Amino acid sequence: MIATQRSVSGSSQSPRSPSSQPYLSVSVTDPVKLGNGVQAYISYRVITKTNLPEYQGPEKIVIRRYSDFVWLRDRLFEKYKGIFIPPLPEKSAVEKFRFSAEFIEMRRQALDIFVNRIASHHELQQSEDLRTFLQADEETMERLRSQETGIFKKKPADLMQIFKDVQSKVSDVVLGKEKPVEESNPEYEKLKHYIFELENHLAEAQKHAYRLVKRHRELGQSLSDFGKAVKLLGACEGNSLGKAFSELGTKSETLSVKLQKEAHQLLMNFEEPLKDYVRAVQSIKATIAERANAFRRQCELAETTKLKEINLNKLTLMRSDKVGEAEIEYQELKAESEEATRMFEMIVRLMNEEIVRFQEQKTLDMGIAFHEFAKGQARLANGIANAWRSLIPKLEACSSSS
Amino acid sequence: MIATRSVSGSSQSPRSPSSQPYLSVSVTDPVKLGNGVQAYISYRVITKTNLPEYQGPEKIVIRRYSDFVWLRDRLFEKYKGIFIPPLPEKSAVEKFRFSAEFIEMRRQALDIFVNRIASHHELQQSEDLRTFLQADEETMERLRSQETGIFKKKPADLMQIFKDVQSKVSDVVLGKEKPVEESNPEYEKLKHYIFELENHLAEAQKHAYRLVKRHRELGQSLSDFGKAVKLLGACEGNSLGKAFSELGTKSETLSVKLQKEAHQLLMNFEEPLKDYVRAVQSIKATIAERANAFRRQCELAETTKLKEINLNKLTLMRSDKVGEAEIEYQELKAESEEATRMFEMIVRLMNEEIVRFQEQKTLDMGIAFHEFAKGQARLANGIANAWRSLIPKLEACSSSS
Repeated sequence: MIATQRSVSGSSQSPRSPSSQPYLSVSVTDPVKLGNGVQAYISYRVITKTNLPEYQGPEKIVIRRYSDFVWLRDRLFEKYKGIFIPPLPEKSAVEKFRFSAEFIEMRRQALDIFVNRIASHHELQQSEDLRTFLQADEETMERLRSQETGIFKKKPADLMQIFKDVQSKVSDVVLGKEKPVEESNPEYEKLKHYIFELENHLAEAQKHAYRLVKRHRELGQSLSDFGKAVKLLGACEGNSLGKAFSELGTKSETLSVKLQKEAHQLLMNFEEPLKDYVRAVQSIKATIAERANAFRRQCELAETTKLKEINLNKLTLMRSDKVGEAEIEYQELKAESEEATRMFEMIVRLMNEEIVRFQEQKTLDMGIAFHEFAKGQARLANGIANAWRSLIPKLEACSSSS
Repeated sequence: MIATRSVSGSSQSPRSPSSQPYLSVSVTDPVKLGNGVQAYISYRVITKTNLPEYQGPEKIVIRRYSDFVWLRDRLFEKYKGIFIPPLPEKSAVEKFRFSAEFIEMRRQALDIFVNRIASHHELQQSEDLRTFLQADEETMERLRSQETGIFKKKPADLMQIFKDVQSKVSDVVLGKEKPVEESNPEYEKLKHYIFELENHLAEAQKHAYRLVKRHRELGQSLSDFGKAVKLLGACEGNSLGKAFSELGTKSETLSVKLQKEAHQLLMNFEEPLKDYVRAVQSIKATIAERANAFRRQCELAETTKLKEINLNKLTLMRSDKVGEAEIEYQELKAESEEATRMFEMIVRLMNEEIVRFQEQKTLDMGIAFHEFAKGQARLANGIANAWRSLIPKLEACSSSS
């Protein structure tokens, strides 16, 4: 089950050699609607093929639903701070589209891409939670899923607040209100600025790409209505003029079908990749927030540890009987502080690698998406040009025979 | 000033400098005059001719829309049985009334209107046409304010006339009245065809207009998309940014193409369709006139017969009213014969007109379709080339990254 052309590079989907090279191949297939009314949902078959020893066997099939994918994403986000966790498609859609064939297919594709990106990431693919996701029975999965309270379980308002905190700290520093708890790393500032700007422009471009799809559909519908009306006219006229009307009408209807098909292709091969890019950038913003948290924690602990050290020295000089207690507290705090520093430094290191990986992958994905866009448009236009050109001699035949 | 959709046999370009008779008219130079709600458009009407009935080889007058309406109404009154060329609609949505596109479309339609009259072997001899082409503006204003033709009736009244025509038929079927409709199967077929044609044409024209609108919307959407993608390109930098910029620029270029083609579609296809609809409505008005003439003929024949019977009765009774009755009878008989002549002339003219209409319409619509298909092919070709030229540039961007 090969995912569409936007498979990540280096995906271990197809085994490079039957048994020696390690491989992990996952596919998300067969969406099926289960349940009734407001409780209704879509379930997917997740098929895992692997020769990795950590897995239970060469092939495993489980049934998963959207919230299981959310659970996996949240767990990875908690555990692998600094790594850009692959994005998920949006949770809810306008109610009436939620079970439309197109929406279901788009979501299935996006989920397939999500899991494969995890499976082909050298760190994330080793995750125990991934193994759980790919192998656990449905009851276990349901139990785990209802426990989760990750960052993404926060309402969007809370998430927004975290970002605002990140940015307001900077302005507080500028206004001299607080001690700086933001990194003053120019490279990093540049990256953050780029990510925030990128998100805005991407969202705009994606919005207009979606409208473009809509306009293609509307033009197609209009051509179809026009074709029908002109055919009725042809039936009413009779003789050569009537024949000309009929030819025109039929051709219009044919082209309407082409336009609708291309609108669908545009949606799948271009607008959806753009939307995926937007989600990826939002995921990066969440990682940026994590890094800010880690930095702040490191700073606060370093500060508190220093104060504790000063206090300890004071108590030692005074030969107080609280020295022993203070010493223990100081050592604990120092260990926590060092841990926080290690955590922060690891996040920084991972992020640097991730940024490089992200840029490469994105350039590849978007390059393909543009290519598909231009090719699709050229193909459509070519088909339309040929169709109209083939009509012209027929119209000339009708006029000359009148 | 050659009109685009010149009618066949138009005498616009002289076949020979001085010997062959010619009458060439053009409607040009729309100019907005007046202020506020009184504002209107005036046109220059230039007549070139060697016909002796005209005042000279060239004449230029200033006319406005209501002058054309006056001419149409006069011709409709005088030339019953002939399909009077249609006029563009009177009023448009207020905000478009002075848009460049609307003004140009109207100018073209008025030019076509006058030229169709000038090239119709009967209508071109009309004195009212000569007045329209030559009278000074004050005379024209005076004449125009006097006119009370059929088209001055509100659309509701016009609709009533048509309803009367159709209801008479059903009354006959229900046995309510003596038939005052012709029972001519050929003519029935024609009427049925005209009414059905009008419905289908109006539908087709409505959808053609929507097609124009959708072209415009797609063009606008491409333009917005192009701008957004260019901003993205500026933000990205490097080869991906360059690819975004190329895509954005190409989208904007194609948006312009689409808007141009939408305009062409409007002028060369949707407008001819609308003209066809108006022509059919004009024919319906002539059908109504024929029905009137037929009814008048029947009523007068009936009344004359009754008068004759009465006259014979009075003659037998040797009444002293015989003389009076004789005079009344003779008057009525003359009127009846006149009505019959009028009706028969209308029938004869209409038969010729139908043939002429079919030929002209087939030619006009054939051209319109041709333009439509060619325009669409040209647009699609241009779009295909544009996208294809982009592909190697995109490939260069991907491979250099």
